Amino acid sequence: MPKDHDKDVYPEPPSRTPVEDRQSSLPNPALILSKLFYYSVDLPVTAFRDIVEGIQSGKRSHYYHQKFRRVPELTQCQEGDYVCYYEAEMQWRRDYKVDQEIVKVIQERLRACQQREGPSYRQNCYKELQQFEQVSKAFQSRYGDLGAYASARKCLMKQKERMMAEQQQA
Amino acid sequence: MVGMSFLRTAAAFTARLNPLKRTCQASNLLSRTVARTEQVVVRHGSHGKRMFIIKPTDFYDRRFLHLLKYYIILAGIPMAAIVTFVNIFIGESELAEIPEGYEPEHWEYYKHPITRWIARTFYDSPVKDYEKMMALIQIEAEKAEMRQLQLEVRRHMREKGDGPWFQIQTLDKNLIDHSPKSSPDN
Repeated sequence: MPKDHDKDVYPEPPSRTPVEDRQSSLPNPALILSKLFYYSVDLPVTAFRDIVEGIQSGKRSHYYHQKFRRVPELTQCQEGDYVCYYEAEMQWRRDYKVDQEIVKVIQERLRACQQREGPSYRQNCYKELQQFEQVSKAFQSRYGDLGAYASARKCLMKQKERMMAEQQQA
Repeated sequence: MVGMSFLRTAAAFTARLNPLKRTCQASNLLSRTVARTEQVVVRHGSHGKRMFIIKPTDFYDRRFLHLLKYYIILAGIPMAAIVTFVNIFIGESELAEIPEGYEPEHWEYYKHPITRWIARTFYDSPVKDYEKMMALIQIEAEKAEMRQLQLEVRRHMREKGDGPWFQIQTLDKNLIDHSPKSSPDN
């Protein structure tokens, strides 16, 4: 079966054992519905999955995540060295994708936290909120309004503008 | 014309005379009078009367839809079967750490077996594509540098004039006849 999610990052709320205090003799509809779902959907699907895994067992191939070497960045390239520019550009694009995924993960954590905590999320998920704010501010300041045709040069120019603005303020 | 009106009146007269026998009268098509209706429920032993329903042709539309379904299913069923069998019998790959000292082939970075097959059979590895692009960029950069150099050399040769370019051929000085120049005032 595929791996379950990380229990530390997405913790489940503590369960409370209910005290059964049935006052009516009618059957419990929640129980009926859950049993119905179990027998009509859960069991057949799990059985099918087990059959398929039995057929496929032992012949599993593997796939890997590609590791890229770090190459000199745009600031470390000689002027006119177009090959160096190309490699720096490709590395910047990979880093851009990675940063987008990082922001998505942080967003997902915040969303899960809000779903868990309900109305009191602002107080209980303070850590996730701070993390999300920090990460999204950093992303916005670095990659913010670069647009669809973003490139390493434009990002570098944006950084230069940022540094100039900071110097002027200081 | 008069005969037509006579036929019509005769048809109307017969229609009024025989209220029951109205079903298969051809004169009903001729007469413009509205037949007085005493609707009689007739129970047929068959599926009802055969009607010739006049409507515009649907031959071309039905032929088109039939051919569309035929050609879509002709490719669709083998593809669906292949994909189903690949998913059940071969199955997707599992994520694993790269073992020490092992360089995975370029198709081993994909999960689904069909994607892996396509990457293995048809596509070049991304490393090779990267290198191809870098080779193109290198060639273009060298071309640009050559062109710049050529312009610079042209400029120099035009200015200084001691290079092989921009030389205008003149006559050989041995061909000049100096004999009239020895007596100038002749």
